[in-house]
Amino acid sequence: MKILLIEDESSLRESIITYFTDEGNICETAVDYRSAIEKINIYSYDCILLDLTLPGGDGMEILRAIKKINKKDGVLIISARHSLDDKLDGLNLGADDYLVKPFHLSELKARVAAIVRRKSYDGNNIINFNDIYINTQAMSVKIGENILALTRKEYDLLVYFIANHSKVITKSAIAEHLWGDEIDLSDHFDFIYAHIKNLRKKLVEAGCRDYIKSMYGVGYKFENV
Amino acid sequence: MKLAAKYNRVTLIASIIVFLFTGVIYYSVIHYILTGQLDKDLAIEEDEIAAYVKTYGKLPLAGSFKEQKVSYHLIDPNHDFERRYFYNDYFNESEQRIEPGRSLIRTIDVKGKLYSVTVTKSRLEAEDLVRIIFLITLSVTILLLITLLLINRFILNNIWKPFYGILLQMKAFNLADKNDIRIEPTKIDEFAELNAAVATMSLRVKQDYRELKSFTDNASHEMMTPLAVINSKLDTLIQTETFSDSQGELIEDIYIAVGKLSRLNQSLLMLAKIENNLIGDQETINLDELISQKTRQFQELLQSQNLNLKTELAIKKINMNKHLADMLVNNLLSNAIRHNYKGGEIFIQLNDSQLTISNTGSAAALVVNKVFERFYKNAASEGMGLGLAISNQICNLYHFKLNYTYQDTKHTFRVSF
Repeated sequence: MKILLIEDESSLRESIITYFTDEGNICETAVDYRSAIEKINIYSYDCILLDLTLPGGDGMEILRAIKKINKKDGVLIISARHSLDDKLDGLNLGADDYLVKPFHLSELKARVAAIVRRKSYDGNNIINFNDIYINTQAMSVKIGENILALTRKEYDLLVYFIANHSKVITKSAIAEHLWGDEIDLSDHFDFIYAHIKNLRKKLVEAGCRDYIKSMYGVGYKFENV
Repeated sequence: MKLAAKYNRVTLIASIIVFLFTGVIYYSVIHYILTGQLDKDLAIEEDEIAAYVKTYGKLPLAGSFKEQKVSYHLIDPNHDFERRYFYNDYFNESEQRIEPGRSLIRTIDVKGKLYSVTVTKSRLEAEDLVRIIFLITLSVTILLLITLLLINRFILNNIWKPFYGILLQMKAFNLADKNDIRIEPTKIDEFAELNAAVATMSLRVKQDYRELKSFTDNASHEMMTPLAVINSKLDTLIQTETFSDSQGELIEDIYIAVGKLSRLNQSLLMLAKIENNLIGDQETINLDELISQKTRQFQELLQSQNLNLKTELAIKKINMNKHLADMLVNNLLSNAIRHNYKGGEIFIQLNDSQLTISNTGSAAALVVNKVFERFYKNAASEGMGLGLAISNQICNLYHFKLNYTYQDTKHTFRVSF
């Protein structure tokens, strides 16, 4: 997929690009208002990652510009502004999602994947990873021909893992993804383990290979074995 | 004490003292003048008697007529004395009663015999005069005092009206409000000055506030960006290689610290926002549904702690900002989970008047009057100590009451609507 990252903070830009640029993703960047407007007018992207505070102009204006020229690009706002007004304004203006800084790169990738999936013209509701097929519309999971019964949290977890396959995902990223960031779960990470254990067990029992690898202390990795 | 009351009291006391003082002086002066007049009359009478004695060589007839009485006594020639005036009571024969009088006594030589002559005049008239003057003065004084009080009451209240007007506006002054203080024109210089000062002050405060607000916004942004960089760098770092167990633990600790820091930052911003009443957009919220939804969200957490959750939820609609309602329930419920022990209990009760969340937990009560303070936490707590402060501010914003009690080893937080 083709992504445009509009972000003025260079080290954050680098991290995001590094995280996204593999398996055929193309990631372009714009560092200020003017260059962002230029790129938007010339090219089309699957998803635009938009920071709101930029040198030379307000990110909201870029969002308005995108909508004005009828671009169908997905827009994900990434902002340090936690204010509800900004969030609502952004979503009302037609942004697809809003992610508050600081965020986990795995969360960003999962959200981008969700936006791109929703925006795809061929109505692609299927996420595929080797023998795992997930129908996001029906929220059903198949391993080959076997239908897998997962709880809501296990389903979310599997989608999250596949969106970030081959990446190490931290326990706090998983906790925030599944339970939101309003509660500090850092002293309760052990119960995440129970969920992952259950998911892994169900996958293996359905004849799936064991893709989930535990990285001690750091987190988990979902990868092809 | 109100200014008018204080002012009334002072003027009243001062006027009474002044009136008493002048009254005494007034009385003495009049008394002195009237006595002088009586003495003059007595001297004239004395002169007449002396002239009569000189002419006829005998005393005129003793007697009493009208307000005057003359009497003689033969005395021992060796007991001659100086003439003198004195006060006495005498019997007024025409009125048949004892009256206060003023007398002059002297000796007079009539053909070798020494007589004492006493001339007495009634003081009654003079006394009456003094009394009338006194009464008139008193009634004028009282009238004056009453007028003074009435003037104070009506005129002062009227004069102070602009003051109360501006006071009312200052009380209603809200930083977050869009409209400024309205100034009502007044002819009194002091109040005009006060109005002007209040108006400039409110403008300046609002200006400062706006700057502060944008400062906090900017500060949060500036703080969040480095935090985002740290987080993203950590995310990138853990992709690079396999780490040893101890390195993994170090990284996890950094993650937790960064997470805490960003939550702390967001909480402080949220607190400032609620305190400054910057939250708009109320909507009707089904509190019972929200609570059920939250308990579902926390289900795994409850299970992992083996907590026994009991709920008794009546249907309750409430007008609140959705985000704040969510945060309130979230904070109270997560506290009940966090400060519990394995296998403990949580009981949530919602009815029309209150929401009660009680949980088992540490054996000691929290400090009741500190529990809602910022950064208050007991030693065992790993939180930041802002959750309850935020909950309390949310309750204050909507005029709910949040209180804490500890009874029968149960910690209870109660929101009364």
